[in-house]
Amino acid sequence: MGGRSEFFGTVAREADEPVFHEPWEGRVFGMSAFVLSLLGRNVDAFRFAQEQLPRRVYLSGYYQRWLAGLEHRLVEAGYLGPGEVDARLAGHPAEAIGRGASPIRREVTSRVLRLLLRPRLPGWLVGRVFPRIFGNARKAPERPRFSEGDRVRVRASRAPGHTRQPGYVSGKPGVVVSHLGSTVFPDAHAVGRRTPPQHLYTVAFEGADLWVDAAEPGTETRVDLYESYLEPL
Amino acid sequence: MKADETATRVEALEALLVEKGIVDPRAVDEVIEHYESNVGPLNGAKVVARAWTDPAYRRRLLADGTRAVAELGFGGPEAQMIIAVENTPTVHNVVVCTLCSCYPWPVLGLPPGWYKSPEYRSRMVAQPRGLLAEMGLELPAAVRIRVWDSSADARYLVVPERPPGTDGLGEADLARLVTRDSMIGVSRALSPGDG
Repeated sequence: MGGRSEFFGTVAREADEPVFHEPWEGRVFGMSAFVLSLLGRNVDAFRFAQEQLPRRVYLSGYYQRWLAGLEHRLVEAGYLGPGEVDARLAGHPAEAIGRGASPIRREVTSRVLRLLLRPRLPGWLVGRVFPRIFGNARKAPERPRFSEGDRVRVRASRAPGHTRQPGYVSGKPGVVVSHLGSTVFPDAHAVGRRTPPQHLYTVAFEGADLWVDAAEPGTETRVDLYESYLEPL
Repeated sequence: MKADETATRVEALEALLVEKGIVDPRAVDEVIEHYESNVGPLNGAKVVARAWTDPAYRRRLLADGTRAVAELGFGGPEAQMIIAVENTPTVHNVVVCTLCSCYPWPVLGLPPGWYKSPEYRSRMVAQPRGLLAEMGLELPAAVRIRVWDSSADARYLVVPERPPGTDGLGEADLARLVTRDSMIGVSRALSPGDG
């Protein structure tokens, strides 16, 4: 959505905003946490499921799109048949369309999830073990192509499907300000395609390069971009 | 979908998932309880207050945010790579996610509605100075604004400037001055006597 004027408007802040506005929002959040863990924590696939929603559904609200994304992932994984939720809402007898989960798998997911739900956890666990479980850092087969200070240009067009290349930096020049290591490549991971991990860089863009005449003086934007999005300049 | 239709749909979905043995509803209860009670901006405020009072901790935080935050016992989903960025008299940092709503949950809790809104996501990269002013933070023209669009694995935590007149305060009192919004970068930390 970055820089797209069709969405510009006043940012409304709510005083004393609750974590969840309605109980169902919490249920969607909690079920998503559970199901995503059960399905192997592919957040990229979950995001892609949301991005594919009709515009009206996507824009209807944050937890509305989580709900639609969650249903999509459950159907994709075979746990729900297409239209199974609608059938239940229409009062049809519950035909077992999708499959169930193995009780062992559900129990393991439940235990792992609950392990996290403590106000504080041991430093070694959150500092060293969690990043390996939740993080996407993986060793890339090649050495990094770019280093700090390199001038780069973001490729002109975005790949179809899921991507973490924001539209507003496409074709724009910037400077690499740090190398963040290498991670699973979300564009491929979102559709379960196996590709080598990619180097990830923080790239700084001058406001004037991004927005030309509309740019505000003294502003820059830093974006984390994968190596295949970048070309040397 | 209207709000009550959505609520009915969520109920139906959960009933199906529980009947099929896919989801453990008690674990769902505990996840909700955790994010409503245990996790919130108070965690981040403790990190910032520690950085304000302990120069060695500040260096560790700026060098490796994930590990420094873990020293206080915080971490988990959406915090696999925490990067702390520090405001100075000449550079102001502010965080957005234009592609979805990435946010460092373990230190700030779940994001507020405005952070997830199309208005914030679209404007913060294009009009940061104007939008910050609209949100109540007027920055002098000489201050450079650095917007961090959390588009990949890193989750950004802004370390606001320590307010003047706080030399005598301890960590716990300082933490009370560190608001959620100041750690996103849309406001300054409070001063003693504010609010």
